[in-house]
Amino acid sequence: MTKYTVTGPVAFMEYEPGEEFDEDLDPELEARALERGSISKGSHPRKKKEDGNAEADSAN
Amino acid sequence: MPKRIALTDKIQLDSTDLSDFARQVQFTSDDAQVDVSGFNTLGTNEYLPGPRTQSVTVDFYGSYGTGEVHQTLYTIYKNRTTTALKWRPDGVAVVGVSNPELRGNAKVYSYGPGAQRGSEDTFQVTFMPADAAGFDYFTT
Repeated sequence: MTKYTVTGPVAFMEYEPGEEFDEDLDPELEARALERGSISKGSHPRKKKEDGNAEADSAN
Repeated sequence: MPKRIALTDKIQLDSTDLSDFARQVQFTSDDAQVDVSGFNTLGTNEYLPGPRTQSVTVDFYGSYGTGEVHQTLYTIYKNRTTTALKWRPDGVAVVGVSNPELRGNAKVYSYGPGAQRGSEDTFQVTFMPADAAGFDYFTT
């Protein structure tokens, strides 16, 4: 089992954005979900809106 | 289940909940009608069901954010990936006899978003079965 956090704006499996979960994901599914940012590995506290803006700014 | 207005459907693709980005879903399952008629006094035709063709077509809103429609669908199309598709009428209620879930492993053979000035950005994607199990309804 691996710990993941839903980092995308929509639910992943039955887990809501920001929620942490432990699953044995199919490696290919995991790779796609990680690449598009739906989930990340490990535990990540949900970002505040300000953080989201800062992230967007830094991306520009 | 009583008559319903479709509002709370859940559409999950590649384990990603794209319900909020979809406004219409259409499942079709058609069996070829094979004529096995022989000579008979009434001249009527006789048929047997042949190969079954299934598809699920979804109207998506074009959205290009992290983990949204484009990122989810284009990768699947580009890499010819097989992925799980699920649709059920009530996304809040659990799957059951009165809330069956259509499931199947699917591929996308065509991807064509577009845009028209002043209009909502929507496009259709058709999912075809990727294995012999096809699409089927599950109640558990």
